[in-house]
Amino acid sequence: MINVIYILVQIMVIILVAPLVNGIINKVKAFTQKRKGAPLLQMYFDLYKLLKKNAVVSEVSSWIFKATPYIVFSTALAVALLVPVTTLIVPTGFPGDIIMLVYVLALGRFFMTLAGLDTGSTFGGMGSSREVMISALLEPSLLVAVFTVGLVSKSTSVYKMMEAMKNADVPLAQPVLIMVFFAILIIIIAETSRIPVDDPATHLELTMVHEAMILEYSGRHLALMELGAAIKQLVFITLLVNVFIPLDQYIGMTGISAVIISLLVYLVKVILVSILIAVAEVSTVKFRLFSVPNLAAFSFILSFLGFLQYSVFGR
Amino acid sequence: MKDYLDVLSMLILFSSLVLMANKRITSCIKTFRLQSALIAVAAGIMGFKSLYEEGTFDILVVCLIIIALKVIYIPSLLNKASANVEYKVEKNFFLNIPILILVCCALVVFSYFSISTLEGINGGQINVQVVNSVAIVLIGMFFMISRKRAIGQVVGFLVIENGLFVTAMFSTHGMPFIVDMGVFIDLITAVLIMGLMVFRINEKFESIDINKLNNLRG
Repeated sequence: MINVIYILVQIMVIILVAPLVNGIINKVKAFTQKRKGAPLLQMYFDLYKLLKKNAVVSEVSSWIFKATPYIVFSTALAVALLVPVTTLIVPTGFPGDIIMLVYVLALGRFFMTLAGLDTGSTFGGMGSSREVMISALLEPSLLVAVFTVGLVSKSTSVYKMMEAMKNADVPLAQPVLIMVFFAILIIIIAETSRIPVDDPATHLELTMVHEAMILEYSGRHLALMELGAAIKQLVFITLLVNVFIPLDQYIGMTGISAVIISLLVYLVKVILVSILIAVAEVSTVKFRLFSVPNLAAFSFILSFLGFLQYSVFGR
Repeated sequence: MKDYLDVLSMLILFSSLVLMANKRITSCIKTFRLQSALIAVAAGIMGFKSLYEEGTFDILVVCLIIIALKVIYIPSLLNKASANVEYKVEKNFFLNIPILILVCCALVVFSYFSISTLEGINGGQINVQVVNSVAIVLIGMFFMISRKRAIGQVVGFLVIENGLFVTAMFSTHGMPFIVDMGVFIDLITAVLIMGLMVFRINEKFESIDINKLNNLRG
């Protein structure tokens, strides 16, 4: 029974907060351009409106096109279950689930690229090939980073990692973890189609990656795809803030009130990281596609140095 | 305390890797400035520690000199020198950037496995900080040979100097003051001469591509 409540809280928080992150990032970007910008809750309005509309499906497309939004959304939701928003509640976790997290997301991405190819439009195929290239470049870096965190915390379960980081001394003051932190920050920016890799705001055919794949979608399908992308982004941010900036150990209370306070703390951390991502996004320009390997190599070497540090010095 | 110095030495190593991945001269100079600022922070922490424990303020003076010289003066000198040359982006490397970064990675692995087993001066094990600093020296040397343009090589020289300085600082926790001063005066002379040379080469040959120096052979 209590497990069901935990799962409900987890899902509710992730789904409700995920569109807010996009809102905050867009608001900060608008402020730096001296615009007023769309309201913070704009993505909720968009999703609500899109969910009411019918989807237009191309006649030449196969079942993959119709199934993909549901697969993308459900894989994102399944992954969201593995990353607890607060360590005070115990979600569904098991040893090795961080590897499952990486590859369940890869499953969603696989279907997204197939759907991009399915309708036969040129943009979709282009976006798919770029997306596969970027994700293939980033996967080694992500895996080495999560394995290093796993080595430090002696576990491969996300929940156990967060627990271990709570009990250790300040994670960002450890030489191993500071490198992995920067590596994961780069991975987040690349995986969530942010500016140095992909521009979420344009529909310019030469530059878009993620937008090119979902270009053919409309109505409720589009809503599911966008919500799935937002959830994926929030899952990565949650992983970052709860592993590297654990603050739950400072909450002295127990019971319901402690859970509520830790959720508020979580919200503040997410908002701060979103502002950080927005600042990173406005202070760089988009890379050429062929410069993305530089970023991936850089992220890989950072996580590898963390791993090396751990294996040579053991801390 | 030791943890924070460890993290700072990691960040200094990180900044030299960022330097390696940069193509633009101005961003190279910016990253060099960042690296020097991080070194100044490390020196400041050590300086306050020695001020409280031993009552000496040698390292604090060194820290102020680093801020004045490496964070403010030398970068602005380099900026002035690079404003006079026609190129802004390093275009043709000997290797592409991912390979450069992976070679840096190999250099770091080399220094980790070769140096971490050595005995330290005071009988203790060599710690993380010294190993990272030696890696910075190696990366600086590799930076020098990976760039074709003269300003890139000046920056590489400065990174080597930074690496040597942090190696000395982290392994001894404060050299004699006179040694530091000598090093700084050497450094500033070298940078002034190099700045002049870059300018002169540019004036004479309308380019500072060092490959063209081969044309001078008889």
